[in-house]
Amino acid sequence: MNSAANLLSHDPRPALGVGVSYEGRDPALLEMMLPHVDIIEVTPETMSVADGDRISLDKAILAELKNIDREKTIVVHGVSLSIGSHDGWSPTYLHLLDELMDQVRVRWHSEHLGYTRVDGEHLGIMLAMPRSEQAAELVAQRAWCLQQRYGLPFLLENIVHVVPDCPADYTDAGFLNAVARDSGCGLILDVYNLECDEHNHALDIQAFLAELDGRHVKELHVACGVKHNGLMLDVHSRLPRPCTMDLAQQVLREVATEAEVIVYEFMPEAVPGLGNAAIANTLQQMRQREWR
Amino acid sequence: MDLASHQRILLGMMRATYQPGAGDAPYYHRVSCSPDLHEARGNVLLWRVYVLERTCVLTVELLRQAGLLEDALQAFIRQENISPFREYQPLAFLGFLAGHEDPLVVSVSQFELALMKVREGDPCRYMVDWSYDPAPILQALAQQAPLPDRADPDLHRVEISGELPYLFEIKRLARDSANERSRFHTALTRGSRYKSTGATSQ
Repeated sequence: MNSAANLLSHDPRPALGVGVSYEGRDPALLEMMLPHVDIIEVTPETMSVADGDRISLDKAILAELKNIDREKTIVVHGVSLSIGSHDGWSPTYLHLLDELMDQVRVRWHSEHLGYTRVDGEHLGIMLAMPRSEQAAELVAQRAWCLQQRYGLPFLLENIVHVVPDCPADYTDAGFLNAVARDSGCGLILDVYNLECDEHNHALDIQAFLAELDGRHVKELHVACGVKHNGLMLDVHSRLPRPCTMDLAQQVLREVATEAEVIVYEFMPEAVPGLGNAAIANTLQQMRQREWR
Repeated sequence: MDLASHQRILLGMMRATYQPGAGDAPYYHRVSCSPDLHEARGNVLLWRVYVLERTCVLTVELLRQAGLLEDALQAFIRQENISPFREYQPLAFLGFLAGHEDPLVVSVSQFELALMKVREGDPCRYMVDWSYDPAPILQALAQQAPLPDRADPDLHRVEISGELPYLFEIKRLARDSANERSRFHTALTRGSRYKSTGATSQ
């Protein structure tokens, strides 16, 4: 059974739902995707409009989401909370999230385990946290606060490492385990990000998976980007490769046995190149696959 | 190393404003000469291009044709605290170019900025001065065609307002106005190269 209602059940091994990222303003694409998905993942920052010095959600997109949330489950996946910044998270993002939560029914919300700002200055990219005791404690405390603030599950995603790793107190998986354990938050495992880290920084994916506490993983992401100057980039511009899907299947069968959804992410800018039909076909194949 | 110091060093390295010294841990020296850092900086640039070429069509085309795009973007990234919100980036970039040393870049960018604002309901009336007739220049940029040859200066002023039928109107300037205009440009180009001064509005 693949339905949104199933996602709300307390079955310890829920059936796996299929989700897709959607940024609004493309009803033709949405119409082609909806029959194949249970969950729509939205990103508040990409649904926002500037109104002088203030930023707020686009009312037309909000109306679209209000229509969708009658038949599909909405989850929120932010990119600019900057949960790991030493000087605090982004109040602008939380303002958008408040606005969204007030108007749309949301199943859970999530962010990336990294930071995009330092002392209020924007990096222009997202960097992974140093895996220190101090960083784990800071992120866990903030993740706990977010769960209290919204009364909803909150998940954190493993991100790609764009610069080499620094000496650490934890392994990659150990850091995720510690943050989830100490905060009570869940995890998103982005399988393509693991592939990028394997290619760019020699991450041992199998050792990572053997150490990860899969009980925390509620959601998987699949995507595909490009190689540039020999490095794999996390740009979500292509259809997922078969090897990414196979790795996701392994994760679902052996590690993340309680995960509830697998989400295909792509950038709206990539849609003209990918084509609506190819995206819908990918989602259909994901729906039909025996993941477990 | 504590988290704040670590993040500040990486911010400086991402912006190419910090070079690790003798007192810094070997890790930062390793990052500094890694291909990853170079690639990450390139990605920041590409993301900006990706957003701006879709939102500041005329200005990006002009900068590309003039071979000035990368320099302008690098300066923008180094000097400005760029919001991750895509909605703000074109406004910030065009505003930043008000201080560019090339008067044509100033004219095109401030025209596009004013047009963007009045389209969004800004009630102000903006004036942007040009050294040449803007019509063939704007037409070429919109069609991604080579710019027409420009010989002698031919001073024009473009008025941009939500009250105008096509949101803007081009007027040829009389000599007296031209003298005013040259003072205006002197003010724009004096001082730091990329200091933003904004378009004039009434």
